Amino acid sequence: MSSRSPAAAAAVPDPRVTSRRPRRPFVTRLRSGAAPYLLILPACLVIGAVLGYPLYFMGHLSLEHYGLFQLIRHQGEWIGLKNYSQILHDGFFWHVVLRTLAFTAAAVSLTMVFGTLIALLLVQLGAKMRILLTAGLIFVWATPVVVAVAVWSWMVDFEFGVANWLLTELHVGNFNHHDWFASTLSGWTIITALVVWGAIPFVTLMVYAGLTQVPKELVEAATTDGASPWRVFRDVTVPLLKPIFVILISLSIIWDFQVFNQIWIILDGQPPPQYFTMSIYAFTTSFQQSQYGLGSAIALVMVVILLIVSFVYIREMVKIGDAE
Amino acid sequence: MKLRIFAAVALAAALATVASTATGSTKRASAQSVTVWVMTDAQAGWPGAIAAANAQFQQQHPGVDVNIQYQSWDTVLQKFDAALAANDAPDVIELGNSQTAKYMAAGAFSSLKAKNFPNSSTWLSGLKSSCTYRGKLYCVPYYAGARAVIYRKDMYRQAGIKRLPTSYAQWLADGKKLMKKFGKNRNFSAFYEPGQNWYAATTFVEDWGGHLAVQQKNGKWKGTIDSPQAVKALTIFKSMVRKLSRASKTQDEAHPFPSIPFAKGRMASFYGNGWEWPYVFNPKGGAAPKSFEKKMGAYPMPSHIKGRYMPTFLGGSDLGIPISAKNKALGADWIKAFTGTASETIIAKAGNIANTTKLANVNAHNPALAPFARASKYSWFVPTSPNWTNVENSHLLKQMLTAILTNRKSVAAATHSASKQMTTILNASS
Repeated sequence: MSSRSPAAAAAVPDPRVTSRRPRRPFVTRLRSGAAPYLLILPACLVIGAVLGYPLYFMGHLSLEHYGLFQLIRHQGEWIGLKNYSQILHDGFFWHVVLRTLAFTAAAVSLTMVFGTLIALLLVQLGAKMRILLTAGLIFVWATPVVVAVAVWSWMVDFEFGVANWLLTELHVGNFNHHDWFASTLSGWTIITALVVWGAIPFVTLMVYAGLTQVPKELVEAATTDGASPWRVFRDVTVPLLKPIFVILISLSIIWDFQVFNQIWIILDGQPPPQYFTMSIYAFTTSFQQSQYGLGSAIALVMVVILLIVSFVYIREMVKIGDAE
Repeated sequence: MKLRIFAAVALAAALATVASTATGSTKRASAQSVTVWVMTDAQAGWPGAIAAANAQFQQQHPGVDVNIQYQSWDTVLQKFDAALAANDAPDVIELGNSQTAKYMAAGAFSSLKAKNFPNSSTWLSGLKSSCTYRGKLYCVPYYAGARAVIYRKDMYRQAGIKRLPTSYAQWLADGKKLMKKFGKNRNFSAFYEPGQNWYAATTFVEDWGGHLAVQQKNGKWKGTIDSPQAVKALTIFKSMVRKLSRASKTQDEAHPFPSIPFAKGRMASFYGNGWEWPYVFNPKGGAAPKSFEKKMGAYPMPSHIKGRYMPTFLGGSDLGIPISAKNKALGADWIKAFTGTASETIIAKAGNIANTTKLANVNAHNPALAPFARASKYSWFVPTSPNWTNVENSHLLKQMLTAILTNRKSVAAATHSASKQMTTILNASS
């Protein structure tokens, strides 16, 4: 906020002038003033019930020693910040944090790059192919995660998988009994591909919708002035679509940061530590080690990190909103 | 302005995703019903025993519904914890005999009187002790299982193996013969050993005199999978797997069940439970034609000490009544019906060891299942700490085996870190 100019200060109406106005009846004023709040009330109540209360409860739980013994008696044991000091001094925890951030960065950039490229392709395509491709994208988007992961895990199955069979038949190499999860890098590549594959349709369709709104005259003018297609994309399309990109990136960050189902299901519900992300770490600590307090602390730290990471984007988004 | 609405909608969608969590609960129909959680093994392997128990129970309690809910080993404990937290526990629950200690110690089960249940004087002592905590009984033995080598008679014959091996050295030599004969097929294993089958690996450890963990005089536990005996056994295990097996090194013995690739002719043998024999023919399992059985045989895994067998894990299941169950008396009556001689006979014939020694000879004349009973002569069990389940749930032994078998870590390094983790988990306050 810059300091207000004297002119702006003068524009503020004189209170005495206002008070001399004839007063509207109290009820009318109340009604018109309260209406927006009444309208937003149901939404607030729902958010409070489904998000606020669990968050409060989780915060409470994270300050307690809460194992199976406490669970059966519905009575935790207050230990203050001990859970937090335990995870903050745990090298493995920081390792998991870094891994989660690295995965998020990789998955989000791949999703954005491929999503945008396919959107640009959609613009160039004829009507029939465009409908075909769009339908394909919608199908991917509509496939429930659990089903998609089951299909993928059969494709890369060690014993009977079609990927190994196909690669061997195509003479790419001997992929007979190739174990895609034996090496951490190859395992993460499969998981990233699976997550990115599932996220691309949304990004593509959003960017495509934005691209159709780019005024043709601007592109034509730039082209006439001798701009290359890349230059047009960089200096005309991207600035115009910036709001859409910012929103898509922040949503993708939120989604990919907390990815759980894909990793959990493809690794049969027992992912080894080198496949732990923060959400998996929090879940196994709570539900497999019965350390619900510690698990809640990890989950809360995760929420805080997510807020910090997405803060930049949300601020950007709010700025764009204000500018309109 | 349009954009702001769009942003708001998008944010709301994102928040909804953050907030959404899966929950499950067991729906209670009426007071006149009893809810039972048993594992899917019963559904696939001995549905007749369930039907018989239900019929007997309903004769005793006309008009009371029996609500059987089949559970999977992967998720049952999570669901049970959630049910305990929500005061919505079933009236009867099946737990593995290595899982009961944690729940008995935490006070999750109501105590029972042994004399109220059938055959309690002849219960298998191993199962009974997995139901006993500080001198009190908290669950009822259900069944036990032993492991043996299930093999292809025709392949052994073709590889020139005339007599079944009676020592580990001979067994390994036979395995090499099989690899020589059939190994050109890249899918073939002489002995199919999924890398994360820690029951098999621990069998080697126990045979060479090692243990997973031991309790010291001061009551504290210590992981001992890095003892010289264990390291030696795992080194032998690793070299055996690399020579004889082409199974995945990152999967356990349930992904897939070895009976399935066995039925497809991809191996000459595997180390399996008694119930895995019939599973070869189960339409949902191996789906092999009944004629395939002529080619099959089983024998106890020979020890490195000549004339002995390697000790098998004596796994099993127990049935307990949760402390917060609504119909405890009905639950107890259902358990009585299910663990009576009639049902236990059906369970034993499906390839298991019945909960009572009275039925020890049910399979004596069944060439398929008798070897499993013989194998149980030497057995081992997991450390009896209430925290043992947490060791299993952390999958640290499976990960240790994967690290060893894929050469990511040396046997010494992998076992050292696994022992340290076990010590920490076993001594944690619950």
